Amino acid sequence: MRRISPIQRFKMMNPIIQLFKFFILSIKVMVIVAGGHGGTRKAN
Amino acid sequence: MSKIVVLGAGISGHVAASHLRRKLSKEHEVIVVSPNSNYQWIPSNIWVGIGRMPSKKILFPLAPLYKKKGIDFKQAKAISFHPEGDEKESKPYVVAEYVTGDKQGTQEKVTYDYLINATGPKLNFEATNGLIPGKNKTYSVCTYTHAEHAWNGLNKVIQEMKQGKKAKILIGTGHAKATCQGAAFEYILNVEQELRRHKVRDMAEVTWISNEYKLGDFGMDGMLMSYGSITMKSSEMVEMIFEDRDIKWILGAGVNKIEDGIAHYENLEGETKTILYDFAMLIPSFSGHGFKAFDKNNQDITDRLFKGFMIVDADYTPRPYEEWTVQDWPETYQNPSYKNIFAPGIAFAPPHTISKPRKNKNGTEIFPSPPRTGMPSGITAKLVADNIIDSIKSGKESLKHKGSMGNMGAACIASAGYGLLDGSGISITTFPIIPDYKKYSDTQGRHLGKTFGSIGLAGHWLKLALHYAFIYKAKMKPFWWLIPE
Ligand SMILES: Cc1cc2nc3c(=O)[nH]c(=O)nc-3n(C[C@H](O)[C@H](O)[C@H](O)COP(=O)(O)OP(=O)(O)OC[C@H]3O[C@@H](n4cnc5c(N)ncnc54)[C@H](O)[C@@H]3O)c2cc1C
Repeated sequence: MRRISPIQRFKMMNPIIQLFKFFILSIKVMVIVAGGHGGTRKAN
Repeated sequence: MSKIVVLGAGISGHVAASHLRRKLSKEHEVIVVSPNSNYQWIPSNIWVGIGRMPSKKILFPLAPLYKKKGIDFKQAKAISFHPEGDEKESKPYVVAEYVTGDKQGTQEKVTYDYLINATGPKLNFEATNGLIPGKNKTYSVCTYTHAEHAWNGLNKVIQEMKQGKKAKILIGTGHAKATCQGAAFEYILNVEQELRRHKVRDMAEVTWISNEYKLGDFGMDGMLMSYGSITMKSSEMVEMIFEDRDIKWILGAGVNKIEDGIAHYENLEGETKTILYDFAMLIPSFSGHGFKAFDKNNQDITDRLFKGFMIVDADYTPRPYEEWTVQDWPETYQNPSYKNIFAPGIAFAPPHTISKPRKNKNGTEIFPSPPRTGMPSGITAKLVADNIIDSIKSGKESLKHKGSMGNMGAACIASAGYGLLDGSGISITTFPIIPDYKKYSDTQGRHLGKTFGSIGLAGHWLKLALHYAFIYKAKMKPFWWLIPE
């Protein structure tokens, strides 16, 4: 069953669009992962 | 002078040992005890298992690196823990048995001031009757040798399909309480793409079998996430992907027996069923290694150190699912009985699962065990190393560095197909890993801005970039420590 439309698929696989996505994704992932961690017991 | 012994050289053991060595002067000893001669970047096993990456690209030998960096390496496996020493040995120690070379089979008492147990999981294939990697047409991708065998098995089936034989492919979890659904998810998508690349997709029926209650649970109770401009459930996202790729699914399945090409399972409705296959990759259950521990009088104190995995600063009080909180999860990974023992990565005993526990009418529990992926494994190992370093430098116990999985993000960059221009990846970030239903009460326990999903080629590039970055880091090349865990 085709659940991903041709236009969505084009966006998912277009190297130019995806290159931008790659940079954005890398930054977002970095912010979440390297953005710090800590305890939970005192904070709450 | 302090002596720090690290058991295991996987993601967490290696991260701990490398940070300890970098930050501690040479008067302090760092010793790694691990049975495998190689470091392996496990996440890339997926690509070994589809024949797109040779295993030599995901591993390197540890001994030369450790020699160069001043880390003592014993290719041995820990057998028992003696945190008080014994009548003859006043210092705490572990008994390790060499697995190779002249000393093979000999046992040694390895004394320590600090001990990091980073032995990860035992791949408990025995828990499922007949589930043996490379036998009964079932395979695993949990180690690089398993992944190589998996590719041989898959390739054989692909060649048969090219000759006109139809095939059934089954991928998922091989036990009612298995974890690591993410790895199986990556593998099924990669296999599906390879079948298309080999032009045999129409000859294969591809089925996902899992102990999850819903698709996209991933052992993390699923997640609500931002997807582009909308908010989506992980179950909806995975359903969209599976339907789009014509992958069938069986959920709530506890696989309990494997025969040649037949998987037997029980489901949440209490029914006993079977499914036939020509190739299966099923993740086994993970368990502790069955270590024993003894006090100085040689009395068994295993239950002070282990609850399957190692006991740490978690709240293990049994409580119903509705009463679980993020505060139950450990922050320092320190054993409460022996303060100089720590267990980061998969080696620590989780207080409970993350996914809702479920039982069928026959009393069989079918739900995922909690995953501890690479990122939290690395982060928890580094914070353990940092606390030990601070304690050594200050001369008193320091537990300043904390990292609960309830206050930590993780990124799961799931490869969905290999290829520089036709590859794909499903990137999912989650914050926090353990849902905090109090703090994020209307978004299913997660911070929506930091929990998102994205599908596309960029995900594949990111996974590939992470592969090279983490191998660079693991090889301790210049400025390796700037790459975050
Ligand atoms: C196929 C696959 C794909 C994955 N993909 C991803 C991914 O994309 N992203 C992600 O974040 N995570 C992923 N994971 C999960 C990730 O690999 C684990 O979270 C991580 O390896 C856990 O690290 P660890 O150091 O705790 O355990 P391990 O990596 O298992 O290391 C344990 C170490 O202990 C050693 N050891 C075992 N027994 C003994 C003993 N008796 N004495 C001494 N040493 C011992 C072992 O040889 C090993 O060196 C994947 C896992 C699999 C199986």
